[in-house]
Amino acid sequence: MYVVGNKYLFSVMLSTQFPWLTTILLLPLVAASVIPLIPDQHIKSIRWYAFGVGIADFALMVYTFWCKYDLQNSTLQLAESYPWVPQLGLNWSLAVDGLSMPLVLLTGLITSLAMLAAWNVTNKPRLFYVLMLAMYSAQIGVFAAQDMLLFFLMWELELVPVYLLISIWGGQNRRYAATKFILYTAAASIFILVGGFAMAFYGDTVTFDMASLGMKQYPKGFEMLVYAGLLIAFGVKLPIFPLHTWLPDAHSEASAPISMILAGVLLKMGGYALIRMNIEMLPNAHVYFAPVLVILGVVNIIYGALAAFAQTNLKRRLAYSSIAHMGFVLIGIASFTEIGIGGAVLQMVSHGLIAASLFFLSGVTYERTHTLIMEKMGGMAQQMPKVFALFTAGSMASLALPGMSGFVGELTIFLGITTSDAYNPTFKVVVVLLAAVGLILTPIYLLSMLRQVFYGVNNSGIVIEGYLGDAKPREMFIASCLLVPIIAIGFYPKVATQTYDVKTVAVATQVRNVLPTVVAQQGRSPLYSTVLIAPHLAPAESRSLLASK
Amino acid sequence: MDFANLAAQLNAGTILPEGIVIITLLVVLVGDLIVGRSASRWLPYVAIAGLLSAIAALYLQWDNTNPVSFFGAFNSDDLSVIFRGIIALSATVTILMSIRYIEQSGTAMAEFMTILLTATLGGMFLSGASELVMIFISLETLSISSYLLTGYTKRDPRSNEAALKYLLIGAASTAVFLYGVSLLYGLSGGETQLSAIAVGLNSANAGQSLALVISLVFVIAGIAFKISAAPFHQWTPDVYEGAPTPVIAFLSVGSKAAGFALAIRLMTTAFPLLTDEWHFVFTALAVLSMILGNVVALAQTTMKRMLAYSSIAQAGFIMIGLIAGTDAGYASMVFYLLVYLFMNLGGFSCVILFSLRTGTDQISEYSGLYQKDPLLTLCLSICLLSLGGIPPLAGFFGKIYLFWAGWQAGLYGLVLLGLVTTVVSIYYYIRVVRMMVVKEPQEVSDAVRNYPEVRWDLPGMRPLQVGLVLSLVATSLAGILSNPLFTLANNSITNTSTLQPAVVSSVGTQVDVNQTQPLID
Repeated sequence: MYVVGNKYLFSVMLSTQFPWLTTILLLPLVAASVIPLIPDQHIKSIRWYAFGVGIADFALMVYTFWCKYDLQNSTLQLAESYPWVPQLGLNWSLAVDGLSMPLVLLTGLITSLAMLAAWNVTNKPRLFYVLMLAMYSAQIGVFAAQDMLLFFLMWELELVPVYLLISIWGGQNRRYAATKFILYTAAASIFILVGGFAMAFYGDTVTFDMASLGMKQYPKGFEMLVYAGLLIAFGVKLPIFPLHTWLPDAHSEASAPISMILAGVLLKMGGYALIRMNIEMLPNAHVYFAPVLVILGVVNIIYGALAAFAQTNLKRRLAYSSIAHMGFVLIGIASFTEIGIGGAVLQMVSHGLIAASLFFLSGVTYERTHTLIMEKMGGMAQQMPKVFALFTAGSMASLALPGMSGFVGELTIFLGITTSDAYNPTFKVVVVLLAAVGLILTPIYLLSMLRQVFYGVNNSGIVIEGYLGDAKPREMFIASCLLVPIIAIGFYPKVATQTYDVKTVAVATQVRNVLPTVVAQQGRSPLYSTVLIAPHLAPAESRSLLASK
Repeated sequence: MDFANLAAQLNAGTILPEGIVIITLLVVLVGDLIVGRSASRWLPYVAIAGLLSAIAALYLQWDNTNPVSFFGAFNSDDLSVIFRGIIALSATVTILMSIRYIEQSGTAMAEFMTILLTATLGGMFLSGASELVMIFISLETLSISSYLLTGYTKRDPRSNEAALKYLLIGAASTAVFLYGVSLLYGLSGGETQLSAIAVGLNSANAGQSLALVISLVFVIAGIAFKISAAPFHQWTPDVYEGAPTPVIAFLSVGSKAAGFALAIRLMTTAFPLLTDEWHFVFTALAVLSMILGNVVALAQTTMKRMLAYSSIAQAGFIMIGLIAGTDAGYASMVFYLLVYLFMNLGGFSCVILFSLRTGTDQISEYSGLYQKDPLLTLCLSICLLSLGGIPPLAGFFGKIYLFWAGWQAGLYGLVLLGLVTTVVSIYYYIRVVRMMVVKEPQEVSDAVRNYPEVRWDLPGMRPLQVGLVLSLVATSLAGILSNPLFTLANNSITNTSTLQPAVVSSVGTQVDVNQTQPLID
């Protein structure tokens, strides 16, 4: 048994001169280590420093992806790979493709804005910004890692910063929420490591490189087991219905900037990893699990929407709406179509922007009203019309108003699942109908939220402190930075779709290639034989037949 | 036998590091007699210098081509060199952190150094001992010194209680160990050298005899006591609670490392016939240690007791490498012990520092420490998180290597259990971090509220600071820059000839893919 690195990545590496991704990844972490040394009686220079680092890193990302990234190429780009611990087969392998690139950009945007949103943090500011920057690096690392062990390392690296960020700067119940978060995520991440070990040690070579793991041929039972494990690990993060209970607590107890990151970026790690690992590495098992994913997605949508109704806390309602929206991602992932998988990526990006803006605005509201209980509020629109306008825009995007990114994301997922030729028509009709029910429920609870908080007359006795008043320029800036891309994607989706298009097509092709062979297998359970049907076109096989003639 | 031949047979150069330790020990002892009390100002530094030169001597012994000495009683192969290095290093750091502690407790410095050096000596000899009498004598040297150290603050009743408990349980376990060893002696036809025992057992066809299994179990009981593996751990929490904190820092690393060195040597050399059996027994010990250590640690309210249970759990993790029985398995043990040395000693340094300033060990008294002493908070947090296996700290890489080796050897269940209990352990480690960092100003404990001004210029504080910084730097960077340590750990195993046949035979018995020999390129 030999431990090998990835020869492919090594060869690619030679062509790139400057380690762009490593720089992007390490810049916040290195910058964070300097923060304790900054002499500062007031926190002013620290927060400018942290925000500057965030923006500089984001600018670096934009520059790198603009100049060095080829949008027409579906393979891994900007690849770098250095042996880190060769004894373990752990390589510092970073690369981006259409799946990770938009999410890295999303991370940069939302984390930078979150640091701007946290302008008023006065409690332990140094620690706050150190943790924010550390988390920034870890998130980029999760999206860029191309080595399973490195991915696990980055996944775990993000745990403690998030834990502390929730438990120090959160609300009343923050310690409970933070502990619940870390235990759920740490327990689930066991499956990532075990799955990684199982795949890495399978066969003759030991490698943790993701592309090589995807090329190994695993036996069916093994693949199913690993898939199930990874599904649990990422299902906690996404979250998928029975594993979601940490989310409402964490999202509602965290302070607004942290909630922005939690909802905007952290949830996407789950969806990203599902596509990157479960589909790309274990396509055969994905065919078996896809109907389950669709059903779980529908459950997420309906359950999230219904649970959101019952919430009296503003942020808890938004948290449950996140669960509902992530259900669409699941359906898209399992759709076996280019449109559907692309829609899943688009929905992740769009939800990242929308959820971040809504959580940010709920924080803006909270700073003024000092309560999150919606019943206690009312008529706030009179006193803060700008916040009301922004909040309304965010809610409209969230309920998928045409012209906003939420609409495009959900529409493409619906298109993907309805045009999917892998599912039985009856199944598709049921799924689409149920998901549409969720789509109807969303406006109801979001509009009722707006009504309770902003409409009507102010008879709640809440007095907004004069010095705060309506939204400040800083807050307007953050909200517009999030709303502009939302509207841009809504009107011209190609802004977002071109970043991942070729990649999702490749993913869809890969998973469709294994579909006929799996569906044709005998002895499947009745659930699958009725739900899944073999698509009529099997391009790879027919082409090989023609070639043989 | 002429003299030259005798000298060659003795090969006394191999124990040069131990010789240096003995000379240091005598210098400390005699220096104190001659100079008197005032000697306590420089004695610790003599001891540190001695230990460092012993480590330098060990470095020169690396890759010794002729490691066997004293007619086979002592083996100075790379495995023993690395373990002796770990023990000597742990003693060095222990001395660094103990100077202020001894000063403040008002006990004699020279005696403490002498006994600690004796314990180190015992541990170092134990790591290389490959003959039953030698093993027993060095084990007793280590044990008796440990009992003395435990009761060192003799006016403290809890220290006395701890020493008595340790002595009684230790004596019983020594007796059991000795009984097992005597059975081994008899069954092998009167052999005392470990390799000869294996041959003797083989020729006496004792492989299936019940007596051999009994002797194996008894020997393991003795080792398990030393490494405080459940269910032989009962002394650990009480001793840790009562004994002076620097002493338990040494017990938790140095003494444990010696126990693991003994375990590797004894099991692989003397019991190749019973590989399945000793793997089974150690699996049971590892399972119990991981579960019991991690679960009971959740309920602890004092820092020292929590660290006691955590050290039991850590022993369970390390045993995964032993059970794996491959090159990578043993190397992962060595690597983990190296890393564990720094993170655990760093943690104990912080606990000492806190108790020196506040006089308490209660976990609840740590609340709000961040406001008064951010540096100490940072150090303790990093050490505890590293113990919990949080990246990018050294403990993460140590654990990953152990689990990696375990998975490679097919120990899926153990690795899963290790991962699950690691999550449990994160909870109790992070609870302390939360206590220190998260608490609001109004929730600050009395001890922290009355926290004295941080002063590093008191006598004995500088060495403590040096030890703390050393362990902290090692804990934070040993993971990221772990390549040299990995290489060191791997070389120490691959260059050890006694392990190689054992590795081959144990790999040969496995059905899976380990047929090809070079596991790691």
